This record gives sequence, structure tokens and C-alpha cells, in this order.
Amino acid sequence: MMMGGGGHGGPGRMLNTETEKPKNAAATLLRFWSYFRPWWYALALTGLLITVATSMQVATAPFIGQAVDCYLLPHATACWYDPVAVVGNQDARLAGLGKLVLVLVGLFMGGSILQGMAFFSMNWAGQHALRRIREDTFAQIHRLSMSYYAQNEAGNVMSRITSDTDTIQQALGFALLSVVSGILQLLITGGLMLTTNWPYALVSLSVVPFMAFATVYFSGQARRAFRKSRQEMGSVNAGLQESIAGVREVQAFNREDESIEQFRRANAANRDANVRAASFTSALNPVLEALGYVAIALVVVIGAISALRGAPLLGTAVISLGTVFAFIQYVQRFNQPIQQIAVLWTNLQSAVAGGERIFGLLDLTPEIVDAPNAQVLPPIKGRVVFDNVSAEYKVGEPVLRGVSFTAEPGQTVAIVGPTGAGKTTIINLIPRFYNVTGGSVKIDGHDVRGVSQASLRQQIGIVLQDSFLFSDTVLSNIRYGRIEASDDEVIAAAKLASAHSFIERLPQGYQTVLGERGAGLSQGQRQLIAIARAALASPRILILDEATSSVDTRTERLIQAAFDQLLTGRTSFVIAHRLSTIRNADQVLMVKDGQIIERGTHDELLTLRGAYHALYMSQFRREEEPAAA
Amino acid sequence: MTRRGGPPGSPPANPGALGRAIRYLGGHKRSATITYSALLVATLAQLAVPILVQNMIDAVTQAGTSLGDRAVAEGLILNAAALILLFAALRGVFSFLQAFFSETTSQGLAFDLRNAIFTKIQRLSFSYYDQNQTGQLMIRATDDVERLRGFIAQGLLMAAQSLLLLIGAMTVLAFTNFQLTLVVLPLLPVALVVFMFFGRISQPLFKVVQQRLSTLNTILQENMAGLKVVKSFARETYEERRFDAAATALMEQQIKVNRTFAFLFPIVFLVAQIGQASILYFGGRQILGGTLDLGAYQKFSLYLVYVFFPLGQLGFVISMMAQASVSAGRIFELLDAKSEITDQPDARTLPPITGRVEFRDVTFRYLNGDPVLQGVSFVVEPGQTVALLGATGSGKTSIINLLPRFYDVSQGAVLIDGQDVREVMIDSLRSQIGLVLQETNLFSGTIRDNIAFGRPDASDAEVIAAAKAAAVHDFAEGFPDGYNTRVGERGVTLSGGQKQRVAIARALLLNPRLLILDDSTSSVDVQTEVNIQQALDRLMHGRTSFVIAQRISTVQSADMILVLDQGRIAASGTHAELLESSPIYCEIYSSQLVDDAASSKAQEEARP
Repeated sequence: MMMGGGGHGGPGRMLNTETEKPKNAAATLLRFWSYFRPWWYALALTGLLITVATSMQVATAPFIGQAVDCYLLPHATACWYDPVAVVGNQDARLAGLGKLVLVLVGLFMGGSILQGMAFFSMNWAGQHALRRIREDTFAQIHRLSMSYYAQNEAGNVMSRITSDTDTIQQALGFALLSVVSGILQLLITGGLMLTTNWPYALVSLSVVPFMAFATVYFSGQARRAFRKSRQEMGSVNAGLQESIAGVREVQAFNREDESIEQFRRANAANRDANVRAASFTSALNPVLEALGYVAIALVVVIGAISALRGAPLLGTAVISLGTVFAFIQYVQRFNQPIQQIAVLWTNLQSAVAGGERIFGLLDLTPEIVDAPNAQVLPPIKGRVVFDNVSAEYKVGEPVLRGVSFTAEPGQTVAIVGPTGAGKTTIINLIPRFYNVTGGSVKIDGHDVRGVSQASLRQQIGIVLQDSFLFSDTVLSNIRYGRIEASDDEVIAAAKLASAHSFIERLPQGYQTVLGERGAGLSQGQRQLIAIARAALASPRILILDEATSSVDTRTERLIQAAFDQLLTGRTSFVIAHRLSTIRNADQVLMVKDGQIIERGTHDELLTLRGAYHALYMSQFRREEEPAAA
Repeated sequence: MTRRGGPPGSPPANPGALGRAIRYLGGHKRSATITYSALLVATLAQLAVPILVQNMIDAVTQAGTSLGDRAVAEGLILNAAALILLFAALRGVFSFLQAFFSETTSQGLAFDLRNAIFTKIQRLSFSYYDQNQTGQLMIRATDDVERLRGFIAQGLLMAAQSLLLLIGAMTVLAFTNFQLTLVVLPLLPVALVVFMFFGRISQPLFKVVQQRLSTLNTILQENMAGLKVVKSFARETYEERRFDAAATALMEQQIKVNRTFAFLFPIVFLVAQIGQASILYFGGRQILGGTLDLGAYQKFSLYLVYVFFPLGQLGFVISMMAQASVSAGRIFELLDAKSEITDQPDARTLPPITGRVEFRDVTFRYLNGDPVLQGVSFVVEPGQTVALLGATGSGKTSIINLLPRFYDVSQGAVLIDGQDVREVMIDSLRSQIGLVLQETNLFSGTIRDNIAFGRPDASDAEVIAAAKAAAVHDFAEGFPDGYNTRVGERGVTLSGGQKQRVAIARALLLNPRLLILDDSTSSVDVQTEVNIQQALDRLMHGRTSFVIAQRISTVQSADMILVLDQGRIAASGTHAELLESSPIYCEIYSSQLVDDAASSKAQEEARP
């Protein structure tokens, strides 16, 4: 699928460094913000709603207090809600209480509804941001050069888009909202405490730094552990992916047990990393709760003793027992959001870890990018010039050296040579799947590096050795060559590629849905569809990578005829092992060790009695003789 | 492409699936027991918090009234504080145990489920893979398992904690003030109805979420696999649009789900808060009527928190539960998928075979399609080479797939050494068949690992011998790390020809009596093909071999040629016989010549 031919050892230059990237949470958060920016109004609305909702909820507490101070145990100095009620009779007080309860219900309702709306608008923005993150990641998959995939397992890249975005999704909605709401509650409660008696408030809140420390410590540890577990999850994914792809081999070779054992190990590593993370996340909440009780104990001991001794703290007012009771309430109300924030903090942390990995992928610079001043390649005639081209996948290990040739429009160029000689590299350079390291590849005089990749590749048709089909209808698969083609054009292309008759015999004809990778069709049939796809694209330049080889003999003759038609008037490069193709070629390039060692027509090369002749003698003669016998 | 987003005829929601998943906890009795014991202690301890706080308030109040003896008063306060600290430490320990062991248990459960899924995936028959997509299976093993795990780790625990707290608090309340408790009581069934309602309506919503997620994943999967095709046709924008459409569909569904829960959460909170407000009113009436004192009311309202807090929590659990039961359904749907190919209960071990193969009136169809093989009968004696010829789609691959029992025949029988392949153990059958598939899949690992794939215990000498015979040795030695060179996920760093030779070495090492070659020399250059051809000749020597052949030399040296046409044997015999008797064979044979041979003389001879 990937780099064939001379790609020994694969490219070494490509980065695999995203896991060693500096772990910069601030930068990651900033990146998240950039995804939210288009929906800032939803976030602003969320902020407004949650502020009002939280205030309404906090406001219910003093109203409940007023129920006691005005109606149940009327107390003229403490009652501000309905001072007249203090002197009223029982019935009037009960009526007043009823009204107050209605006010409370109103506040509760308003708070709840606004909170629900805030939840929705937060999620709405979060889902939109997440969609953008997914789309960007997906686009990056295509932007990255072929060389990246020689180095990175697809399963790992997949888990960025699946599990990492999932973690982010969980954090962006509910968790973030709760954290914001919690912080608001803290601010309001802390403000109340400080205005009541600031030295006493400071004593009561003295555990907060410890809480912060515990949160930072445990969540930092957890984050490290989560990062590890996420990596392990990547291997679990890679293992799954590989074994699903290779399940036929696994079963044919009775390898189920070994492969299950292998998966079990990756799976166990993932579990252990998660359990390790859990030891930190599980410790956080109990520690915070315990610190909360320490705060209550402090409030009581300091407050009550100060009250008993009549000794004010730092020259402020003497603490009354009422203040002590109030503070017990405040501290309890303070502890709950802190615990909530801290626990959700680990969710946010793992989202940051997931974000880091995603942004790490997004930040990889593709090796092949359009030049800033890249032009759109105008419709070409198809003159291809290799000028002293060299290429390498690993620095210092050239796979092509000083390759020069010219293919005139409409010519057919056959490339022959042993495995690993560099044939695939040559054809990979024409659509610029890789960059040359020296010299240039020019099409109609345009350096391929100077034009946009899309405009270049749209004019080049490629039939690969491995005919990849999508799990879609036959019609859509052929139409992939030219999306806007009409049904008639698709059918015409199928006829050209001799695919029409077998397609007609499929259960639903052109509307038959193929299985994954074209399952349900034979290899030959898949190839016919791939050829139809290329024919529909009707490119000026055609690249055939040993495409005619695995079709059965009868069909092949039809294909040859189709190709003759397809090749007419197009510049074609064929890596072929069929003598007829080579014989019909305008130019045969004999490649060996990254260089063109012989060139000319079939007949010219034979008379040279060199490498091509030797190849011919060893292979084609051998085939011809028994046939002739 | 979305039409295959769900398995054919998506089964109904699986209400028992969640319960079945929970039963997996049985495999983790120890940690589950610790979890729930710790939970019991920690939760009951929570009920003591109001008492402790009350105790402190009392201590402060008493201290305030016993102004005479400050030391005694301060002692009271310090004691109360010490008590709460001790309590905090104890509750902390149990909370930790509960959280940690819950996480450990759930991770163990996820581990079990993933292993079960993987094992299932490994053993499912080929026909399953003809219908299901990698992306689908992946999502079940990762995302669905994680959702289920999340529920077991947190949701189930929260549910248990909430119910315990709810029951405990209601009991305390009933003992404190029965009349006021009756005011709270009607709220519980209301909450229950709300929960059930949302649980019911959200489950199908979540199901669609998972389906759309699978679709998204399938597109992703396909794009990773078909990367080069996408690049070749410059279809990046098209694929991005497709992905965007799927991502948008997923987003819209997620927003729909969130809209539902944007209703649920406020309703649950509101139910709880209305309860609180009505207690204030009815409690206030009792106070004003003189039947309740303020202290008792305050204690009552403290415990009230322990009724309403769990209610809110249960609302949250409902959403987790709805998701988890959808995921559990999807997981068990896969685990319950019947592998069509399994050992029969009375299956025997196939003894070492001589390699006699018989197809007895075999008819075969994939799924419910038209038959791809019809009434195929032939016998192959040990050591013979059979060449299969025929047009694309004529049934060659199907014949080959029936031998190692990748599929079962629809009618008739396939016999090896006189034994029906369905009556012997699959392992014992397949271990005696060497297979070189058309599309060579290598696994990430070293070249050595890949050669020793079928026999991991093979010695280095054996591996090298196989490598030499398959013409792997030379290029393997050429790598800096030799046989220890790693090949990528799909063997990406090897060329097609090299991969094929590794696959041949892999089959050689098995030293099988029965050999199947599926057109394996297709995607290589001429020189390599010579090498491979020689390797194959060595491989076939002395074994019963089935070859889907394109090569005239193979056909000529075959002991028997089967010419297939639309699922039937159109002709069979040796090259010489068929040249005499079969026009179809002559046509194929001559078309080969037209393509391959130079000599017009040969063409003249071949044409009838």
C-alpha cells in the first residue's frame, strides 16, 4: 500500500517526536480556546447564565435564614425581609412564610432552568469545537506525507481522533461548567466570609492552600499516569487494528492463541497504567474531604475559644457564637465546590493530555506542502522530464541517483528492473508523493514542486498494485475518479475496462455495495474497477503499477485492449512484467541500483546484449519457449 | 457509505445487557467486595456528619453557657474537634479504598471484556468479516468498553451510594419526624418516574450516537487504509467533506442528547428543591403550631440534604446508565455473534494427512447470494498439483477457501484423506495446510517473527533454511539488522515482491502436506518472479498443491487442470488432454500466448 519499491528501511527523517514535546498545558488550553473562539457568544451566554443561576442559588440561603428570623423565631434586628411580620399573629406569619416559600421556589426554578440552559449552550459550543478538532485532525491525516505512515502505525493515529477526542468531549461539557459554577460559588462564599470577619475568614480558609497543593500534586501525578495509559491505549488500538486486518492469516496459521496472548499483554499494560492513575485520582477526594473537616475543626476551635475569651482576632470585632455557627455553614458550603472542582480537574487534565497529543499531530509539518507561491497547473499536454533526479528516504542512502529522461506527450514508458531498483520511487515522484532530494521533475516545463498538489494529481491517473476500493456501491467506487461524472459516463468507463459485464451480473448491478476494501469481489474484479476508475478520470498522464498482472488470462486480453485505448494520446508510465507492454512501449528504462543503466526500445535494448538482454533471456525467453513447445 | 454503519438488521436494544455486564464483576470478587464494603462504611459514616456537626454546635453552645469554667468549656470544644478529625481520617481511608478498588475492579472488567472481544474477533469466521467493518469492531472494543467501564467504575458506585444514603436518611428522618417525612415521600416516586422517562427516551438517542460514531470511524479507517488512493485522485477535499458530514451528524446527535439532559437535570434539581421548600413551609407550620422546635427542625433539614443530594446524583447516573446499556448491548452483540465455523462437539483431531483431497458435489454460496460453486466434484491424489483456471469470479478463490474450512459448503462435502473437513478439529486441519494468499499481510514485528508466524517455536536454523528456500535470505541479510529488521504495521517497508517471499517462507516453515497458492507472483518484477517461481517449485515439490495459476509453465506441469466457468467445472484433465478436448481451455491458453509469447509460431500451434 505504502511505499513499495526501494523503500528499504523507510524514511528516517520523519518526526516521531510528539510524545517528547514539552508538556505545556497553558499552550494547549490556548489552542482549545482558538477552537472555541468562533462560538464565543455561546460561551459568553453560558457565562452569563451560569453567573445568574449560581447567584440565584446562593441567594436562596439568606432567604431560608429569613424564614427563621422573620416568621419562625421572629427577631426584629435580624429580619430584613419582612420586618412587619415580626409583630404579626400566627396566621399572618404562616401566610408570610408561604409567600416566602413561593419566592424560594421561584429562585430555585429560575436557577435550575438557567443552569439547564447554560449546560446546553456550553455543550453546544463544546460539540462545535470538537467537530472542528475532529475535522482538522482528519484533514491533517491527508496532509501528512506518505513517509509519515511508514513510521507511524495507523491505529495510533486513529486513537487520536477517537479516544482523545472523546476524553475532550467529556471534559468540555459538564466538567468545565461545574468547575466554572464551583469557582463562582467559592468567590461568593469567600467574599461573604471576608466581609463578615476577615481575620477569622483567613483562619478558616487556611486549609485552602493545602487543598490546592493536594489537587496540583495528585492531578499532576494522575496526568502523567494518564498520558502513559493513553499511549498504552494506542498500542491496544494498533493491536486490534492489525489483527482485524490480518485475521485471515491469523486463522490460516492457527495463530489465534499467540495473537490473543500478545493482545492480552498490551491490554494488561493499559489496565495497569490506568490503575496507577487511579491510585492518584482516588486519593484526591478523600484528602480534600479530610482537609474540609480540618477546616471545620479550625473554625470551631479558633472561633469558639476567641468568643469564650472575648479576645478579638487582629483587632477586629469580637467573634460572636452566631458568627461561629455561620462560619461552620460557610466552610461546609466552601468545601463542596472545592471537592467538585478538584475531582473534575483530573478530567480536565486528561483532556489536556488528549489535546496535547492531538495538537502534536496537528503541528507536524508535512514533508510535502504546496509552495507559498504555488500556481495551479494548467491543463497539461503531458511532457514529463526528469532532470538529474536523486531521491533518498534516509539521509545518505540514495535510492535514485542522477536519473534523467524525457517522456514526450502521448509516449508510453516502460520501467523494468529488479525489486528495489527504484522503479516505484520514480513513479512516486511524478505525482509528488515524495520530494526529490536533487534535480527536478518537470511536467510541461513546470517543476512539480512549484504547482499545487491538487492541480497536479488531478491530471495524473494511477492504478496501484493493490486495488483499494471503498465499502460503497460499485457506481460510487468508479465515480471516485471523477465525482461529477454522469451514470452513463461511469458505465462507459466500466465498459472500457471490461468491467461492465461482471458488474451487471452482481446482485444489484452497479448499486451493489461492496464490503470493506472491496470484499466480495475477486482480486481481478477489483482491479477492473480500479482501472475503470482511472479511465473515468481521463488523465493526461497515466501511471500503471503492475496493474495488469493479477487479472486472469481471459480478462487480461480485454484489459490490454482497454489499455491500448486508454493509453492512446496519454503519457504513460508502466511498471510491467508483460512482454507485450514492454514491446509496445516507446521507451524502455532499465533501472538498477537507483540508476537508469539502459534505455531505448525493446528491440534496441535486445541488440545491446546488456542487462536488459540478460533479463529477457532469463525471464521472457523462459516463458516463451515452453509455450512454443 | 453510511448504509453499512450498523450491522445488518440492527438488533433491538438489549435490556439485559447491562445486567450481564455487571455480572462480570463476579470475576473480580475480591476487589468488588472491598469496594462495596468500603462504600457501605463510608456512606453510613456520612450519615454521622450532621451528628458530629451538631455535637460541635452543642459543645460551643454549652461552652457559651458554662462561662464559669473556661477550661472545661475549651475542653469540650477541643474534644468535639478531635472527634471530627478522627472521623475525617477514618472516612478518608474508606473513601480512598472505595474509589481505588472501584477503579481497579472496573479496569479489570474492561480488561476481561476487551480480551473477550479480541478472542472473539480472532475466531469469527470469514463470512463475518465479509459483512462487518474494522471501524465497527474497533469502536466496540475501545469506545463501548470504555463507556461501560466508566459506568461500572462511577455510575454503579454512585447509584449504590445514592440509594444507601437515600434509604439511610429517610430512615433517620422517619424516626425524627414522621409527619414531615410524609411530606418528602411523594417526591420519590415523582423522581423515579422522571428518571425512568429520561432513561427510556435517552437510550435510543445514545444508540444513534454510537452508530454515528461508528460511521465516523469507518470513514476514518478507510481513509487510513486507502490513503494512497485518496492522494492519487486528489480526493482529499472530497473525503474531508464526507468526514465533515459524518462529524456534523454526530455533533447534531450529541447536541440532541444534551438538549434532553438540559431538561432532565433542572427537573431533578427542581424536584429536590421543591421538597426543601415544602419542608420549610410545613415544618414552619409545625413550629408555629408549637409541635416542633427549631433545633429538631434544623436537624431534620440537615438530613434532608442527604435525601436530595442522592436524587440529583441518580439523575446523573441515569445518563451514564443509558449510555452504558447501549454500549453493553453492542459489546454482547459482538460476543454473541455466532461463528459459523466452529469445531463440532464430536470433532476428531485430523491425523497427519497424506494429502488426498476430494470435492464431492460441492455447492457453495456466500450468505444468501447466488451459488458461486455448483456441483463441483473432483479428486486429487497425494502429491499432485492442481492448477485452477477460469475467468475472474468463476469460483477459483472459493474452492481454495473451502479447503481450510474458512467457509462451510452449502451442499456436498470437502474431504481430506477421506474425512469431511467439518468433522475434524479446525486447528488440526489448518496446521497441515500451507497458504500463500494473494494479498500478503505481514504483522508488525521482525522479519524473523513473520517467517516464524505459523511456528513461533522454530529454531533460527529452520527459519533461515525457509528464508533461503524462499529467496528471502539475501535481502534480509542486506538490512542492517538482518532478520531482526522490523516491518511496519502492514509490512510497509518491504516491497510487494519481498512481502510475498516472506509469505512463502512462512508457508515453507510449516512444512505442510497440503499447499494453497493464490496467484502469488503477481506484483513483482521479472527477476524477482524468477526467484519466487523457483521458491514455489521447491515448495510444491512432493506436496498436494492447489494453484490459481496465470503461468503457462505451471499449467503445463500440473497433474490436473480444473477449468472453471461461472461456478462449474467446465473441463478438467492435463494440459495435453485439454488442448485436445476443451475449447474453453484452448481459448484461455491461447489468450495467454497472445499476451506473453513472442513467437507467432507458438500462437499458430496453440490455436485450434
